[in-house]
Amino acid sequence: MIAGERSINYQINPDVVLREEDADGALLFNPDTNDVKVLNNTGLYIWKCCQQKQNQEKIILSLKQEFEQVPKDQVEQEVGSFLQGLELAGFLVKSE
Amino acid sequence: MKSSQGYSFKNTPKSVSISITGACNLRCKYCFYNNEMEQLRDLKTDQWLVFFKTLAELSVMDVSLTGGEVFTRKDLFELIDGVIANRMRYNLLSNGTLVDAQVIERLSQGKRRQRLDYIQISIDGASAAVHNLSRPDSFDGALRGLKLLLKHHFPVAVRVTINKHNLQDLDKIAAMLLDELALPAFGCNEAMPIGSGCRSDQEVSLSQQEKLEAMRIMKRLAQRYPGRITASAGPLAKVKMYDEMERARAGEEIQLGWQMGYLSACGCIYQKIDILQDGSIVPCCMLPELKLGNILSDSLLDIWQNHPTLDALRNRRSVPMAEVKGCQTCEWNEVCNGSCPGMAHQLTGDFNRANPEDCIRLFLKENGIERIQDAI
Repeated sequence: MIAGERSINYQINPDVVLREEDADGALLFNPDTNDVKVLNNTGLYIWKCCQQKQNQEKIILSLKQEFEQVPKDQVEQEVGSFLQGLELAGFLVKSE
Repeated sequence: MKSSQGYSFKNTPKSVSISITGACNLRCKYCFYNNEMEQLRDLKTDQWLVFFKTLAELSVMDVSLTGGEVFTRKDLFELIDGVIANRMRYNLLSNGTLVDAQVIERLSQGKRRQRLDYIQISIDGASAAVHNLSRPDSFDGALRGLKLLLKHHFPVAVRVTINKHNLQDLDKIAAMLLDELALPAFGCNEAMPIGSGCRSDQEVSLSQQEKLEAMRIMKRLAQRYPGRITASAGPLAKVKMYDEMERARAGEEIQLGWQMGYLSACGCIYQKIDILQDGSIVPCCMLPELKLGNILSDSLLDIWQNHPTLDALRNRRSVPMAEVKGCQTCEWNEVCNGSCPGMAHQLTGDFNRANPEDCIRLFLKENGIERIQDAI
C-alpha cells in the first residue's frame, strides 16, 4: 500500500441500503443499479466505520485493534482492496 | 434466528407487494378480487408516503405496486417518487389499457425509469376475440399499451393466464409475443377458482382434462422457445413438478427446490409480505382474509417477526404430508409438497392442507392415466 492512500476518505452513497438480514451477515443494495454486495461480519464492520465517516487509515487502525490475530500487512491490503471494490461498484464515493 | 428447512427467515421483509387501489377499469372473469376486496377503501397519498418511509427504515429493497389497476390512481407518479425517495426499486402490475404517450413521458422522468424493474401487462389472447372473453373489452388497449412500452424500451413482463377460452390459442399467443413482438420471454399461470374466478368458475377454469391438454401444449411451446416461457404455477410449472414427483417416486435421486414429503411449496413468506389497498397487512394476496394488522395502526416489523399466523405459515414446511388431512393415505405423499398454501386455504379453509387444484392423484384419476410423462 502506498502511504498516502491511508488518508483516503470515502463517503457512502446515500442511496445505498444496508440490510442486516440475519445473524450470518448483511448485504448492500444499490437501488439505482440493482447491484447487491454480500457482506460478512468484517465487511459489515468496515461499512459501519464508513457510515461513521472514518477514513481508510482510521478503519485500518480500528480493524487491527478489533482483529488482533490478523497480520497487519494483510489488514491494510484487504481493507484497501475492499474499499476500492465498493467504490468501483458505486456503494462508496471517494471524497477529498 | 428462525429458519425452516433451507429457507432463511430475514429480519425484515425484502419485498413488499402493495395493492395501492381496489379500483379497476376492467372486470376480468378470473380476477382474484371478490366483493369484499372491492369494498375496501384506498388509503390516501400521504398515508402511503408515510408507509414508504417505514419500508425504508426496514431496508426493504423493492415494492410491487398493484391493484386494481395502478394507472387509475391520479397520484401514481407521486407514489412512485415516494418509493424512489425511500431507496427502493419497484415494479408495476397493470392491464396496460391506460398506458399512453403521457404515461410514457411521465414514467421517463427522473429516476422513475431507472428504478423500474418491469411493468407487467396481461395478455390472454392473440386476438380480441379470444383475449376479451376473459378480459372483456381490453385487447386493443392492452396491446397498444404493450407496444408503446416496447417502443420506448421499457422493461416489460407479459403474463398469460391460461383459461378455458385461450387453451387453443396458446400457439398463436406465443408466436405473437415471442416472434412478432420479439419479447425476450413471457410468463404464464392458470385461472384459479378464487375471488371473481369463483363466480365464473365454469366459464374460465380448466377441467382436469383441459389441464392435461394445457400441459401438453405448454411443454411443446417451451421446447419450441427454450428459456422464453416461464411459470411458477399453472400447466407449465406442473409439467416440471409432476415430472420430478414421478421420477422421485420411481426411486431417482433428484435435486429439488422444495422439501419432498412436507408442506414446503411456498417460500414467499420468508422474504415478502403484502399490503391491501386499505392498509391491511396480509401474508399474501392469495390470503386476503388472513388480516394480520393494518399499517395505520400496527408495526409491520412486529407483525413480520412475531405474528403467530406468519409463524404458522413459515412452520408449514415442517408438516409431513403423511400427517396432512386428506393426504395421509395418498401413495404420493412422500414426494408431494402440498402446493400453494393460499389456494389450499381458499379451497379448504386451512393453509395446512394441500391445494386440491394441484393434486397429482386426482389429476391422474380424472384423466384415466398412470404416468403423466407418457401422456404429455
